[in-house]
Amino acid sequence: MDWQALTLSLELATATLLVLLPVGLWLGRWLAYRQFAGKVLIEAAVVLPLVLPPTVLGYYLLVGLGGASPIGRWAQETWGVALTFNFLGLLIASIVFNIPFIVQPIQRAFESIDPRLIEAAHVSGLGTWSTLWRVELPLAWPGILSACILTFVHTLGEFGVVLMMGGNIPGETKTIAIAIYDRVQAFDLENANRMAGLLFLLSLVAVAASFVATARLTRARGERQS
Amino acid sequence: MSAASVSHDAHGAYALAASQAAATQGLWVEVQQDRPMRVHARLHCPPGELLALVGRSGAGKTSLLRILAGLLRPSEGHVAVDGQVWSDTQAGIHLPPQQRRVGLMFQHYALMPHLSALDNVALALLHLPRAQRLAQARQWLDRVQLTREQQARRPAALSGGQQQRVALARALARAPRLLLLDEPFSAVDQMLRQDLYRTLADVRADLHIPIVLVTHDLQEARHLADTLAVMDGGEVLQQGSPARLYRSPRNARVADLLGVQNRFQGVWLGPCEDQPGMGWLGWLADDSDADAPVRRLRVPDKGRIPAGQRVSWIIQADGLHLLDAPVAPGNPSVLCAQVAELRYLGDLSLATLTLTEVPGTRLRLTLAGAQRTGLKQGQRLCVRLDPDWVHVMPTRRP
Repeated sequence: MDWQALTLSLELATATLLVLLPVGLWLGRWLAYRQFAGKVLIEAAVVLPLVLPPTVLGYYLLVGLGGASPIGRWAQETWGVALTFNFLGLLIASIVFNIPFIVQPIQRAFESIDPRLIEAAHVSGLGTWSTLWRVELPLAWPGILSACILTFVHTLGEFGVVLMMGGNIPGETKTIAIAIYDRVQAFDLENANRMAGLLFLLSLVAVAASFVATARLTRARGERQS
Repeated sequence: MSAASVSHDAHGAYALAASQAAATQGLWVEVQQDRPMRVHARLHCPPGELLALVGRSGAGKTSLLRILAGLLRPSEGHVAVDGQVWSDTQAGIHLPPQQRRVGLMFQHYALMPHLSALDNVALALLHLPRAQRLAQARQWLDRVQLTREQQARRPAALSGGQQQRVALARALARAPRLLLLDEPFSAVDQMLRQDLYRTLADVRADLHIPIVLVTHDLQEARHLADTLAVMDGGEVLQQGSPARLYRSPRNARVADLLGVQNRFQGVWLGPCEDQPGMGWLGWLADDSDADAPVRRLRVPDKGRIPAGQRVSWIIQADGLHLLDAPVAPGNPSVLCAQVAELRYLGDLSLATLTLTEVPGTRLRLTLAGAQRTGLKQGQRLCVRLDPDWVHVMPTRRP
């Protein structure tokens, strides 16, 4: 069992979620409430990482952020950091790759809120922030929770983009998914088996937990708010 | 207050200020908007009175209510409550709903499904510390007669009538200066409505604020309102007390929207030579296109209608009297009729009469008590029309 790889994967998933949750909340809510020309284009761009082959996405990120690219050079000169083949590069790739997983469920969750409830909150004297905090978030909570779980689990298991952007550097870019591949290449099926089993269980438990939580919250609220 | 009201005579200035204050009391609204939804209205509702906006669905009632609540910004208009300007498009003023001290009861209540009844009401009291907030919310819910156990439940676990009470308590919790009710009774049965009418009457007596009710139920509007405003196609066609509106609607459309029963076609024949203040109305049969009146009626003349003008006219039930004995023919205000249909409505009966002299025309009468006993279908009888209750409205020819 490669504990270092597991820890790295958990760190990556946590960091990705921490960055994406505020972005997802803002973007998902904005897409849910606003109607404007060109909204479809933004929605399509949000879904794009879902349909692109991971290697294609990874390739563009590698070329776009690598040391030879303008962005890569700028980051190197200004901050003295490289954007590929390190943890930061993995994080950037993971953020881009997970945008649809966080934005879409959050957008659906906000869309399902009856707009009259928000009006009722405004008439009751609640400003934008109190309405968000006391009405919208509690009502959108199941959707936000499943978005978080999906994103987290999805980052743990990501392989293609990570391999393209980060390679296989132990402690820096060698995530658990890469470690499994590494073990299989080395005919160490015993360890590959353990790690694959762990990832499998983790994913299953997380998805089941999100289903249970969603069903509970929906039930507690009664049939009227479906 | 404007500089013009400043006077050297202190007493005079005070009287002027007082009259100005009285004049600005209550709700004043004027809206001219064509897009996105047509709303043309000019209304006043004094404190303690209930103004009902009536009209078919899509008449603009709810849009007007939303403008009052601040949920919709009118393209041109002015809204003021107790002298405080809430909206003035010319001056660029538009207070958001949060700053309006307005209570709004939504059509399907719009209660927060994730909060208990108590927390729903407390949500409108966020400006208070928590303990005080809950205590006040509890007081309001006690007042609308929700038990403590019911107060702890979420809306989904409450009946329709209980949800309605929670919604009313929430609308009142912020001590509003204007209460808006959007079809508040549409989702509950008749028994519960009676209960809530009573609660509303209590609230009205206590609060002394203007109340605006949107409804499509005319009976309810007549029952509750001091003033009716009839809306159609986004426009307020007429505003006035129910009694005045039913007796003298401005035009045929208003009469239609109010569901006035006895409306007939006619032609204005001109003033009576022998009796100043009265004129001749020619009654046209409903099913004929002919301009020849089948009957002439002598009715009050306000001198506004030119002779030969096609008119629509109504008579209220107050002006119709059933006669026991047949009257000598020739009396212009007595009509011979036959009972075509008799419908039993509990305390009342609804009689439909066909008129012998005006073919195709039906007269509808509600009867109670001794008047209806002994009345049978097919029976012949006479009706006297009291001309004072006849109201004549000009119509455009189609």
